[in-house]
Amino acid sequence: MERLVELRGIVKRFPGVAANDGVDFELRCGEVHALLGENGAGKTTLVNILYGLYKPDEGEIYVRGRKVELKSPKDAISLGIGMVHQNFKLVESHTVLENIILGLKEDGLKIDFERHRGRIIKLAEKYGWRIDPGARIWQLSAGEKQQVELLKILYRGAEILILDEPTSVLTHQETRRLFEALRRMAREGKGIIFITHKLNEVMEVSDRVTVMRKGRVIITKETRETTKAELANYMIGRPVVFSQRKVSAQPGATVLKIVDLKVSGDRGYPAVNGVSLEVERGEILGIAGVSGNGQVELAEAIAGLRKPLAGRILLNGADVTGMDAGRMIEFGVAYIPPEGNKLGIVPEFRVVDNLFLKAYRYPPYSNKLLLNWGKMLEKARELVKEFGVVTPSVFSKARSLSGGNIQRLILARELSGIVGGTPRLIVATYPTKGLDVGAAEFVHDLLLRYKEMGSGIIFISEDLEELLLLSDRIAVMSGGRIRGVLTRGEADAEKIGLLMSEAAPQAG
Amino acid sequence: MPLKIETRLGRIRIERRIGYSKLYSISMTLFSLALAFLVISMILASLGLDTIQAFLVIFGIFVKPSLLLESVKQSIPICLAALGLSIAFKMNFWNIGAEGQIYMGMIASTGIVLLHEYYGLFHAWAVMPLMLLASFLLGGAWCLIAGALKARLGVNEILPTLMLNYVAILVVEFLVHGPWRDPKGYGFPLSTPFPKYAKLNLVLGEPAYTGLLLSTLGAAAVFFLLEYTRPGFEIKVVGQNPSVARYAGIKVRRTILLGSFLSGGLAGIGGLSIVSGIIGRLRPGASPGYGYTAIIVAALAGLNPWLVMAASIFFGGLLTAGGVLQMSMGIPKAAVQMIQAVIFLMILVGEFVKRYRIVFEKPRASAS
Repeated sequence: MERLVELRGIVKRFPGVAANDGVDFELRCGEVHALLGENGAGKTTLVNILYGLYKPDEGEIYVRGRKVELKSPKDAISLGIGMVHQNFKLVESHTVLENIILGLKEDGLKIDFERHRGRIIKLAEKYGWRIDPGARIWQLSAGEKQQVELLKILYRGAEILILDEPTSVLTHQETRRLFEALRRMAREGKGIIFITHKLNEVMEVSDRVTVMRKGRVIITKETRETTKAELANYMIGRPVVFSQRKVSAQPGATVLKIVDLKVSGDRGYPAVNGVSLEVERGEILGIAGVSGNGQVELAEAIAGLRKPLAGRILLNGADVTGMDAGRMIEFGVAYIPPEGNKLGIVPEFRVVDNLFLKAYRYPPYSNKLLLNWGKMLEKARELVKEFGVVTPSVFSKARSLSGGNIQRLILARELSGIVGGTPRLIVATYPTKGLDVGAAEFVHDLLLRYKEMGSGIIFISEDLEELLLLSDRIAVMSGGRIRGVLTRGEADAEKIGLLMSEAAPQAG
Repeated sequence: MPLKIETRLGRIRIERRIGYSKLYSISMTLFSLALAFLVISMILASLGLDTIQAFLVIFGIFVKPSLLLESVKQSIPICLAALGLSIAFKMNFWNIGAEGQIYMGMIASTGIVLLHEYYGLFHAWAVMPLMLLASFLLGGAWCLIAGALKARLGVNEILPTLMLNYVAILVVEFLVHGPWRDPKGYGFPLSTPFPKYAKLNLVLGEPAYTGLLLSTLGAAAVFFLLEYTRPGFEIKVVGQNPSVARYAGIKVRRTILLGSFLSGGLAGIGGLSIVSGIIGRLRPGASPGYGYTAIIVAALAGLNPWLVMAASIFFGGLLTAGGVLQMSMGIPKAAVQMIQAVIFLMILVGEFVKRYRIVFEKPRASAS
């Protein structure tokens, strides 16, 4: 089979780390080649080099057997390389057609829109996509936006396609359709590099898989000759157990009681519309649902970040409705925010500052006025070790940490009890989103450990698998209401899906 | 994202430097100064003036003790105001009203002096401490107006702080033309000259030394506040991201009120240093824009209190040099301001080049 791309001995150093440390990689015609690895393994760096965004410090790049030097994405595009980034790069207020032909040089001053329109529709149909070239980008779903991104590069005649974590924004059905289109492109002889950290997807769509860890390639294999367990092993560097966990529910006193809670969303109308819930000591209450159905607003109300419009919140029997975040922290509420790298940390602050973002104002870390840096540093070094935060030192800036390590830092701050001991209530919103297998496993273990220690836990997730694995009960949320609560024994994916679709909000 | 500019001759790319050495930083500053003096000599030569003589005057500032003292004296209000701004800027509160806060500090100081002179409400030894307190409070209150508007109503602070400058300047005009005019001043819009105990002469009877003590204490206080205290930590978190601050349980509104108050308060003491250290009375236009220079100083010093002190003395020297050039060589005022502006500009460009790298790339034809 013809080799489309060959990378030899690629080295790329950033201050302090070698993101790529002698990487060899090869892409053939007609294959979907999965690039698998944990966050920070160097996958994105590698494809950015192939796309001309970074210049490698060492190593050679061959495209169709010819040695090339890529100075910018323009060089890459002219060689038929196209990339779909994790965050879409489209002009929201423009139409699909305008976005696709943006930057094309073949037209002169006058653009023949009709000709482009016809060609684009035809191209889309080839991959089973129905797309209206006149639609504005903001009107499209995430899956459709991705189709536009793909059309954009296919329209430029790309033969080598790079997709950086393409499924992270897609629903289950959209993922299916993407995979079908990718298979079709491969059949046409295109080469596709598919970056992911999800093992299921590797098994499902790829022909070959290359596993990276800490900037090096561990192995490249035919997908059908390997297994999930083996890949996880390569990826993490130690065996991973996929078995079901034994969880024993020990009913105890009620930690949290919510009565008929209404909370307004960012757009003004109530995002939480009459929710009643109870969480007991040592219980994990899972909340299932498609994101954007009021879960985050509910969590923020409990954490004191959003004032409820109506209803009551009781913590250990005390009415805490409408109290601010500071008071909730003092009541023992730990809150793991969604998108931790945005809301959970201050990137420009050091690790130690971020660890003490809440505890800095309580003894022994400060008195009424002065901070006790000695105590904080000592404790910070302990926490970094205990929670396995990989960082050169506690003085490093938080922004230099990888996603998984940022989440570990947040967990250390929220759960370690540096503010008033073991948390009474843990509100975890999408705590494993974007994390790789190893880091997600760490989060699961931690939640179970705190459950055993008696914390009540609200666990909000979109991932049914992990919800079923950890939760004692699962509440299904949609349209700002709880549609039903299933106990551990009776919950399964089908029942949850049925409750979710009941009175689901209109998409739009 | 690096900024890219495409030209016919190739590509110009501007990207942030990840890290640079101290040596590079210092040599870059010296280089931009050298460039500034090159431009200045061109200006002077075009005016038919003796360039070498002018440079001797400018560099003489930092050699001749009396002029050096004058430079230090000029630096005090700049330094105190810039220290205040460092607090505000750390909080991401764009206080550009240091000038007005300086004027309010002058009003407060003068008010205390007049209360003593005309009503004898307190002992002479209490005058200076009361002046310090009053100028801090009034300067702080002036900035607090914008702080409160931001904290309560979410009003952006830039316009209120800027506009209040003009209000403060006009209040001073009103006072010296009206109720506070010196009865023995032949009708000039000036306040009574300050008596000895209301002057900055605590150390060796010299305002520059006393002022230096004041700004050192100020720098130490700001450094301590930001690094070792709870409110300082809160100010920095709010400055980085108010949502994260709220999430951490920090009272964001209260922090904004406190931070803006402290910021204006320090500028207010800067106002005190003008009326009792430099001029010795209140008059219109008492500050030739110290509050605006302070913005440049705070930014150049990267909000580091100790570097703020050093940068203030440099800018104080520039102001002094301007006056000397005007008097000893008869260089027109406008030309003096041009000289100062060229130096400002070159230093700013130098700082930009330090932080960003400009890459010229060959035309695309050579790309494979």
